[in-house]
Amino acid sequence: MSIPELPTMRPLDPRQVAVLRAHGAAAAVPVLLATGVAELALAANDGPNGIVAALALLVVGWLVMVAPRRRWRRWSYAFTSHELHVASGWLTQVHTIVPVARVQHIDLAQGPAERRYGVATLVLHTAGTDHSRVTVPGLARADAESIRDTIRAHMLPTPSASARPVAPS
Amino acid sequence: MTDVSHHAATPRRLDPRSLVLTAVRKLPSLLFGIPLVATMNGTGRIWLIPLALAALIVGATSLWLRWRSFTYAVGVDEVVIAQGIVNTRRRSIPIDRIQDVAVERGPLARLFGLATVRLETGAGETDEGLLDGVSLAEAQRLRGLLRGPALGPVGRTMATTDTATATAPAERILFAMGGRRIALMGAFGFSLVWLAALGAVWQAADGFIDLDYDRVVDRIGTARTAATRALSLLTVLATGGALLATGVVAGFVHTLMTQHGFRLSLADGRFHRVRGLLTRTEVIVGIARIQLALVERGPLSGRLGWASLRFQTLGGSDDAGGRQDMAPFARDAEIAAIVAAAGLPAFDPQPLRTVAANHVLRSALVHAGAPLVALIVAGILFPPAFFGLLLLPVPIGSALLARRHHRYALAGRSLQVTRGVLTRREWTVPHDAVQAVSLSRSWLQRRLGLVTVRIDTAGARGLHRPDIVDIAPADAVRLAANLTMTEMKWETVRSSGVATPVTTPQRGPDDERNDHEHHDTEG
Repeated sequence: MSIPELPTMRPLDPRQVAVLRAHGAAAAVPVLLATGVAELALAANDGPNGIVAALALLVVGWLVMVAPRRRWRRWSYAFTSHELHVASGWLTQVHTIVPVARVQHIDLAQGPAERRYGVATLVLHTAGTDHSRVTVPGLARADAESIRDTIRAHMLPTPSASARPVAPS
Repeated sequence: MTDVSHHAATPRRLDPRSLVLTAVRKLPSLLFGIPLVATMNGTGRIWLIPLALAALIVGATSLWLRWRSFTYAVGVDEVVIAQGIVNTRRRSIPIDRIQDVAVERGPLARLFGLATVRLETGAGETDEGLLDGVSLAEAQRLRGLLRGPALGPVGRTMATTDTATATAPAERILFAMGGRRIALMGAFGFSLVWLAALGAVWQAADGFIDLDYDRVVDRIGTARTAATRALSLLTVLATGGALLATGVVAGFVHTLMTQHGFRLSLADGRFHRVRGLLTRTEVIVGIARIQLALVERGPLSGRLGWASLRFQTLGGSDDAGGRQDMAPFARDAEIAAIVAAAGLPAFDPQPLRTVAANHVLRSALVHAGAPLVALIVAGILFPPAFFGLLLLPVPIGSALLARRHHRYALAGRSLQVTRGVLTRREWTVPHDAVQAVSLSRSWLQRRLGLVTVRIDTAGARGLHRPDIVDIAPADAVRLAANLTMTEMKWETVRSSGVATPVTTPQRGPDDERNDHEHHDTEG
């Protein structure tokens, strides 16, 4: 019997970069607010101005301009109708394989930014412990829906699908 | 009891005696009132009597109301537990989701003839289906009704007649521990943890007795002079011996308390375990719920041929590891019999293969590298610390041995993994219990060409997962592919002769290695 190898991984939808950028911008808001307060406080106390603002701009620039593309590139996925592969991580890279038959239920989530750019996050729930929730962010809505429908068709009808059949011989 | 569905619909309350039991359990909290009484003056104490009476009445009423509002009903396919006075909560647990039915009897509950029934489902919550205080007969009735209708009507009718003491004819005793076995287990149960716990209790009691600051200072002073005077080798030895003896006794007592009368039997595809001296626990583990078997060999007892067997079940258990003790202290043959009864393949160390050679290097770097750096830094500041370098062969040695003792193999329809140098563990994971597999590579592992394969199972809690640490990428991919190959996929493979219909064309191991290197450049 031939042993199946890992399938070729596909990158996330390019529009996910924009979504991540929006998330980065959202994270930048409190940073900018805090910077404004700090600058005002420094100005009131005759402190040096501009240093905090410059640092904050660096952080915001990283969050909005640099990090989204890098984070987008870390992710990849593949769906082979029998299993879903998800790879992510920077220092520690993790490639997770979830057999479709082990999926308990599936969610398709869309935040405001994701709706705006037409992408979706697929969430697979398994009976496992560490991987009780496996998420794939940044799929094109249509792709996510087709994966969800395929998995749903394969899911076992009983609720205790994860239980082993009694006494395998 | 034959027409189950007829009786079942009517909701029942807990045993009225459980009211008294709960009240008795709450008594210790009254002790907090004692300092209050003590600090009060004469007039205050007169006021105290009506106050105490009022508190008593309020407490008793709320207890009674709570008891009244708590009902449970066993329907044809679900158990409904309703509770709450103001915020009512109605919880229905589908019977086919109930994994285990545990019957527990504490010393107080036994006095009252009561038992606690715990319905365990796959969900993480522990108090999900807790019936605290039903009569023993009712507990047995519930267990009979609920322990898995999936296994046919035989289990239902039989269970009503089978009690904790009388053995039903179909029940087969697989493993039991007599007094001598428990004593032997207790002897190995020595643990510094018990010493620490005893010390903490001692200290707490001591602190309770004299809180007087001056006297404590005085005591420290006398203790110091006494210590300097009497610090001879002999006293040190005597103290050590006493501590050791305490540890042994404490371990022994603990073992006796938990394991007394251990008996594991099998009936109708379910394991039935009874144990405990003061708190007697009964646990039912359905074979279909078993997720993996774990055999553990202690540093000392393991070398003498003793091991413990635990099953990880879908519902988990009270144990910190989420596993059920099946045989806490047994010989290999006894364990093999239980494992076979559970329908799992025997653990065979022969065909197991070791992990990659670089595992030694990485273990050494991780376990010896960090101490080395720390020692060098310390040595620069304080030269005698360089002597610590003499200790380095210990982590290096254990790293060398780690590879010899970390092996794995796919045996039929299950994965077998062994890991550990001092405490050796052997996992047997049935193929169908694997929920997800992940291949993880840290920065160092990428440099050394290693992959850790993590196997995710249901109900795993705490440490000691059947992970395979540090194997070659090609092996990891092959293993993962085999592990995630589910029943469904096997069928496709057999019928069509193609591996996977949707995947990319077949690729050789070389391509796959390239794939990994490609990942590297990304990282």
